Amino acid sequence: MSAPHTNPLDHPEVRMASAWRYISGFIASMVLMQAAFIVTLRQHPPYEQYALTIAGLALASLVSQAALFFGLDISRAQIWKSVSLVLTVPLFVLSVGLTVWMFQSLAARTMLMPATTMQPTLLQ
Amino acid sequence: MSTQAAPGAAPRLFHPHFAGHDQISARTLGFWLYMLSDALIFAAVFAAYAVLNNRMGAAGGPIAPQVTNPLEGLWQTYAVLGSVATYSLGTVALKSGNKAGVMLGIILAIALALVFLGFEAHDLLGLMARGDGVTRSGYLSAFIILIATHGLHMVFGIIWMLVMLVQIPTLGFSANVVARLLNLRMFWQFQATIWVVIYVYVYMIGAF
Repeated sequence: MSAPHTNPLDHPEVRMASAWRYISGFIASMVLMQAAFIVTLRQHPPYEQYALTIAGLALASLVSQAALFFGLDISRAQIWKSVSLVLTVPLFVLSVGLTVWMFQSLAARTMLMPATTMQPTLLQ
Repeated sequence: MSTQAAPGAAPRLFHPHFAGHDQISARTLGFWLYMLSDALIFAAVFAAYAVLNNRMGAAGGPIAPQVTNPLEGLWQTYAVLGSVATYSLGTVALKSGNKAGVMLGIILAIALALVFLGFEAHDLLGLMARGDGVTRSGYLSAFIILIATHGLHMVFGIIWMLVMLVQIPTLGFSANVVARLLNLRMFWQFQATIWVVIYVYVYMIGAF
């Protein structure tokens, strides 16, 4: 067993701070959001293709933030944060996805709306 | 301290009165789990927004393309990401015990967060000034609550940073202060993560 540390600044979560990682995370997120903004301005692709492109760019931005800003990995210091995040993401997606799906199905069966008044959603 | 058990005996899993546990890691993991539960609050608000984001939910009032501006959202994204980056760079100074460096990072993070909140307040107050407040329609209720929930988190983060600006010079980098700074770093980065989701889903896909 290694010697105990008494200085909080020697803690692994303090030592993991890294200027290049934070600057890389900042630049990566900025570039990805800028790209998503340009795709939005052009608005040429059909809705499904557009939504998938934007979602892909957002996912890349979130992954870069998790890896570079949060520093999540499978090291001893970070593994339980990584595991809990991996277990929570499906809950987040299911919470939103199932609610949208449920109300979308309900609206289709109970709300008599002309097709022209419907706003496109992620399920259309 | 030995973790070896005698042959045939049950392995020793913990010591009830052992004070040598990693207090900082325990606090950061606990706060991380709180943030994940906080993310599920945002999931509920996102779900409400998704359900009400249609013309029926708008009840004749404005909808996403009329109340969101992707360019303005992009400036807000830059501000919140810049705020996270400056705070994070402040925690690099923490490694060397540089109080001035940490405090400078916090001050810059607060300044950029105020820019972000200025855009947000301008948007929401503008909507309310023209009668498109939270009671106007289901869509506007969901939109305003979503934006305000995130904005409220940002306000709490700024208050937390102001407290740290007092505690760093008075208490120094004690174990408690260091744990709070680490938790604040996670909390602040979490705000940028949530904002990216809001920006993409509300400001971009909504504007399509």
